[in-house]
Amino acid sequence: MATNAASLATSSTPLATNARSFRRQHRIGRAVIYGSLFFMAAFYLMPLWVMITTSVKHLDEIYAGSFIGLPQQISFDAWRTAWSEACNGTACKGLKPYFINSLLLTIPAVIMSTGIGAINGYVITKWRFPGSNVIFGLLLFGCFLPFQAVILPMAQTLGILGLAGSLPGLVLVHTVYGIAFTTLFFRNYFVSIPDELVRAAKIDGAGFIRIFVSIMLPAALPIIVVSCIWQFTQIWNDYLFGASFTAGENAPITVALNNIVNVSMGRKEYNVDMAAAMIAALPTLFVYVVAGRYFVRGLTAGAVKG
Amino acid sequence: MTNLKRMLLAAALGLPFAGQAMAQTKIEGLHVWTSASEVGALKVITDKLKTMGFEWQDSAVGGANGANAQQALRTRVAAGNPPAVMQFLGFEGLGWAKEGVLRSLNDLYAKNSWKAALPPVMLQFLEQDDSFFSTPINMHRQNWVWANKAVFDKAGIAIPTSWDELIASAEKLKAIGVTPIAMSDESWQIEELFESMLIDVNGPDFYKKAAIDLDETALSSPEMIKTFELLGKVRGLHDAGFTGRDWAAATNLVANGQAGMQIMGDWAKGEFLAKGMKPGVDFLCFPTPTATPNYKFVFDTFGGFKIDNGDIAKGQDAVAEAIMDPEVQKKFNLIKGSIPARLDVPMDDFDDCAKRSFSDRVAAIKDNAIYGSLTDGFAVEPRFSGVFQDVVGKFFVTDMSAEDAVKSLVDGINNAR
Amino acid sequence: MSRPTPLSNRIEHWLPRLVLAPSLLVVLVAVYLFICWTGWISLSSSMIVPKYDFVGLNQYVRLWSTPRWHTAVFNLFVFSTLFLALTTGLGLLMAILLDQKIRVEGTLRAIFLYPMALSFIVTGTAWKWILNPALGVQKVINELGWTSFVFDWIAQPTFAIYCVVIAAVWQSTGFAMAIFLAGLRGIDNSVIKAAQIEGASLPRIYRTIVVPMLRPAFLSVIVLLSYIAIKSFDLILALTNTGPGSATEMPSTFMYSATFRRDQMGVGAASAMMMLMTVAAIIVPYLYSELKESRDGH
Repeated sequence: MATNAASLATSSTPLATNARSFRRQHRIGRAVIYGSLFFMAAFYLMPLWVMITTSVKHLDEIYAGSFIGLPQQISFDAWRTAWSEACNGTACKGLKPYFINSLLLTIPAVIMSTGIGAINGYVITKWRFPGSNVIFGLLLFGCFLPFQAVILPMAQTLGILGLAGSLPGLVLVHTVYGIAFTTLFFRNYFVSIPDELVRAAKIDGAGFIRIFVSIMLPAALPIIVVSCIWQFTQIWNDYLFGASFTAGENAPITVALNNIVNVSMGRKEYNVDMAAAMIAALPTLFVYVVAGRYFVRGLTAGAVKG
Repeated sequence: MTNLKRMLLAAALGLPFAGQAMAQTKIEGLHVWTSASEVGALKVITDKLKTMGFEWQDSAVGGANGANAQQALRTRVAAGNPPAVMQFLGFEGLGWAKEGVLRSLNDLYAKNSWKAALPPVMLQFLEQDDSFFSTPINMHRQNWVWANKAVFDKAGIAIPTSWDELIASAEKLKAIGVTPIAMSDESWQIEELFESMLIDVNGPDFYKKAAIDLDETALSSPEMIKTFELLGKVRGLHDAGFTGRDWAAATNLVANGQAGMQIMGDWAKGEFLAKGMKPGVDFLCFPTPTATPNYKFVFDTFGGFKIDNGDIAKGQDAVAEAIMDPEVQKKFNLIKGSIPARLDVPMDDFDDCAKRSFSDRVAAIKDNAIYGSLTDGFAVEPRFSGVFQDVVGKFFVTDMSAEDAVKSLVDGINNAR
Repeated sequence: MSRPTPLSNRIEHWLPRLVLAPSLLVVLVAVYLFICWTGWISLSSSMIVPKYDFVGLNQYVRLWSTPRWHTAVFNLFVFSTLFLALTTGLGLLMAILLDQKIRVEGTLRAIFLYPMALSFIVTGTAWKWILNPALGVQKVINELGWTSFVFDWIAQPTFAIYCVVIAAVWQSTGFAMAIFLAGLRGIDNSVIKAAQIEGASLPRIYRTIVVPMLRPAFLSVIVLLSYIAIKSFDLILALTNTGPGSATEMPSTFMYSATFRRDQMGVGAASAMMMLMTVAAIIVPYLYSELKESRDGH
């Protein structure tokens, strides 16, 4: 992967810098580039700005009509309420317990779906057998299934398996519907690893498992990052499956968030809503901001070379 | 049906969740209440339940006007894992009772003579095939006008006695720079307005024919066109910010004096009370104006699913008894803003709006002028009330003519039959 | 030595298939069996719970006689087209700009990517306020002195769907940008240098040389964005709740309300089948050509 890192580091689009007029043009060009980038960044930050300012405003201020704009007084009460006091039904423990549920659910589901995707991608690209491409096609079509349509049969299946209403059941559902995308990611990545490498290893006597563990996996780090980020975001932010296949104390954070935000009859506490939303988004924000660099690097390393 | 029963049976046979509920006789209740006043009211029931030896295990699923909770319930029944107790509004409970999955509460009803304690109009939503399956905790009145008294006084408006008068008073409100009607473009909020007009202008009998019996002649009648035309007159009486507004935010406009009035059920009352405003002094509550007094109701009930577990059955009975306890009904409704479902609860501690609601209910029962709210699912089954909502919502935000609205309403209802 | 293949070899032969088998089995059940189940329900009279009778195509007739379904289909078409075009275009532009040795690239990249991390259950509320003429952009600009400025699309039944597009583009562009950026980083610089020496202008170089080289990135972006477009559900519910007057109804929200709110499970299943058939009509040929290509390639 050194080559990728190197290409990232040295990447550039050199500009003609010979003539003086070019330099002037260059400077105007740079100004335009920076200008448009900052303009877009401002546009992209607008909702975040609204969310953050709202979360530190006093509720009366919001109801008085100040939805956008600076807060008169900054208070972090809403954040505390959202984390440890906000009510989800009669249980007023804030988002904390559901945050933990979501972690307990997302981490195994991400690991399992990524692991299975890696093995599938490996088989489909390096151990092709008659029909393996058809199987890949069948898997891939699963990406486009509208999930609203599978809730009821899935519920029946979980009932038969004895997993209804439990976190393991939800982990299973996310793993199952995650396989399609993770397989796609790994297949597209492994395609670019030369077959000769595998063939040589076979001649040296390495078997199916050894080749996977000692050749494919070490090379797959960037795509593992991509797959994990994608799956983490999808699963962490899922509401539909969470609301369908868990109940009460087992609910993931999005279900609790929805209950805090979607008050049917009664006063909406917008500042708490926004603080709760920010808290619910922290792990995914963290993943994107911290791992964003690796994300692009991982994609560079082959995911897009379908 | 048989499938469902089989699933429930399979669920009862040795699957983990049945045992889980048994450990401390926790009674799981699935409901849509998530706001502070709703949860506060629910706690009255759960506290009572505790004194009876059962612990309430809370499963709240809010949002999407109850669709999220219905979805959760459906998946759980499909998985053979229904909650012990479920909140039902309108036809929701009847649908499940028809499938035969709800437990009968006939013994309790007989023993405590609950039937006699409840308004007769309620019974049709509690009973299926001679079997009572749920108990009601409250009754909301749907057809209220909530007004800011200071604003009304400033504009020189008296309480209107007809819809024409109410709409005419809007001009006076505009003149003093106030938004006449606080509302939202959400279809259900517009429908609250529409259904009030429907019964107020055409009388309770017409409302029954059109909105409950879905009589095609009534639905396509000139009266219906007139009602849409009346609704059309409200089009210009709201502010520009009405898009996607929560009903509670609209109530706050009235409370702040930015708007004159709001047409909404009495769940809106809590917003005024939370600001320390007093009925009759700071804000006004009066029924939507009509020459034919009527009462439109919405109420919450809880019913239990058949679960093959004696302890849970006892807990389900305890929930029913807690709900029907007059003291619980009183405390619950003082917080929730509604009035007790029971007719025999003393109203002394309630505010004037609630007292008015209570006495109007008695009168409406006598005059046969009490009907279920269309918007909130107490008039027709959801597939029909949904059509009303679609058409009314679309009519209001577009320049659709009243004739076209009536036509698409009739077509839509027939398509859903 | 014509002994039968040793056991280990036979295991090696069957292992790949064995390893793939569970995934295949799970997908056959969780995707294809469930599709069959939905198909069956769409031919039944199911309302509140599944019923396994047969009423022919009644539910499909009912579905297509519902004006809201027509709105939903139309909206999906408008939304997907605009969403794909704008997100791809804007994502590409961002990637190209970011690829010009920008000093604060990391920060900007994070800013463009963060919306993808947020759940729409609440960013929907923020967008609702921003787009609301009495609270958001219009109000701010009016207060700045431009009093005749009007931006009230969200209140207009004919324009509200474009507001949904704006919010959706905001959420997903960063993702498209990341993929394009990765694609750009994978392009050999010498190609660009050579073209520059020949005196080609930068925009021209991008148009004629760089962009065509990004074809694989385009394919990935389009697959991922189609996935997002078809699944747009939270977005609609949070931003417009299908309003005003059902003007922003989508097939996914229609299916949900028919099945879970209006006790019309048969109609809901019929709408799911229509959606699946549409998706299949678009995706299957694409998959076929992709897989055929890759087979030819190896």
